[in-house]
Amino acid sequence: MKKWWQQVKNWLANQLELPADVVMDLPRITMIGHIHIYIENHRGLLTFSDKELRLLLKQGQLLVRGEQFVIKTILPEEILLEGKIHQVIYLDND
Amino acid sequence: MKNKWAHFFIGSVQVNVQGRGTERFINACLRNGISVWNVRKTGEDTATFFMLLKDVSRLRPIVRQSECKLFFGRRSGFPFVVKKTIANFGFLLGIFLFLAVVFLLSNMVWDVRVQGAKPETEHRILKELKQMGVEKGAFQFLLDPPETIQKKLTDRIDTLTWVGVELRGTTFYFQVVEKKQPKAPEPVSNRHLVAKKKAVITDLFVEEGQPLVSVHDHVEKGQMLVSGIIGKEGKTKFVPAKGKIFGETWYKSTVVLPLEAAFHVFTGKYIEKHYIAINSFSIPVWGFQKVPFAHYEAERQKQPLRFWKWELPIFYERVIYRETEQVKRNYSWDEAFQKAKEIARKELKAKLDEDASIKGEKVLHAAKENGKVRVEIYYEVIENIAIPQPIVQGD
Repeated sequence: MKKWWQQVKNWLANQLELPADVVMDLPRITMIGHIHIYIENHRGLLTFSDKELRLLLKQGQLLVRGEQFVIKTILPEEILLEGKIHQVIYLDND
Repeated sequence: MKNKWAHFFIGSVQVNVQGRGTERFINACLRNGISVWNVRKTGEDTATFFMLLKDVSRLRPIVRQSECKLFFGRRSGFPFVVKKTIANFGFLLGIFLFLAVVFLLSNMVWDVRVQGAKPETEHRILKELKQMGVEKGAFQFLLDPPETIQKKLTDRIDTLTWVGVELRGTTFYFQVVEKKQPKAPEPVSNRHLVAKKKAVITDLFVEEGQPLVSVHDHVEKGQMLVSGIIGKEGKTKFVPAKGKIFGETWYKSTVVLPLEAAFHVFTGKYIEKHYIAINSFSIPVWGFQKVPFAHYEAERQKQPLRFWKWELPIFYERVIYRETEQVKRNYSWDEAFQKAKEIARKELKAKLDEDASIKGEKVLHAAKENGKVRVEIYYEVIENIAIPQPIVQGD
């Protein structure tokens, strides 16, 4: 059932040209070079250290690796991270 | 990003979190609507972040539910600045006292200089000024404006022709011009004396020249009275004719005077209000009562305040409300007639020379017309009718 609903949403996003992050509750990630990363639509902080940030998403997790991490701003659904970003990895827990 | 300025005014504090699950603690903060920023991991299970001062009280229940301990670190922002200044308010007081002292001293009179006056006049001026309050140590904003001081000085000291009053910084400068002794009369050129108007001669007083008329003569305007040519035939000489020829002349004047008239007169009662004015905005500092007069005139005196050598855009304003009263004047017919005659006489006297005298008056016509009295009076006046006429050489 859930899967089917996801497919409908996907189809809607494609056909009506609606932004995918709005329709499908996906995170919107904006990066400025490798120094800033701005993630909208996250579901909470899982782990945070100066080398790693793990965020909970609606589906799966997002892992950011780098150095000298500082969370500049954090709001219930947004986060702005500063530092030297090496990797941005999606972890699916399906 | 939130506004950094707002953070400054509300005040922010650094929090050190120690314990397991610092991430969970931060999540809990976010869920409760506490905004945090500059989150940094400092160790294995220690983190540090900043938060607003106003959210600190809401932090307590969240801490209880978590396994963390909190330590407060650096405090910054306006509330802490205030706290600090209250702690050493002596400095603040000193700064304000200093400013106040400089402000007061810049608004004082520090010197009164009188230039161009004889010692005794200078002494009198200084005495008068002292009476007006202009002296060393007086506050400038309590004094009259320079124009008023100038007027008062020239009114009160009769030996002054003119006095320039200037307030330069904190010094009053008085530039004095004293009245001079009348100069010797300038040598006059050769001339005749002729009649200024139609008259009957009543008296002759000739200092120099050849009189051509005698008492009771009727003269026309422009007729020669005293000739500037003297001496026998063939041995004539030109002189400046000089003298006074009194003649009887006639004037007619008409005065129209309304029987009823209304005037505004001051009753002598007044109140003062004092303001500090910034541009057009005035803050009352003394005199808060309502003006208790039904009719009044307001007189405004503005004095700029100074700080050091600059004039501030702040004024000390004194407003004097003087009560006025409407007075109705009602003349009866007789009174109006008398008054009209008085006025006519006064007007005539103002027109005449000092040595003229009014010999007689005769009312030609007196009538009342729509609330007014109209009086025509005929005057007989004895006055000097001689005016000089230069002799054109070569005639």
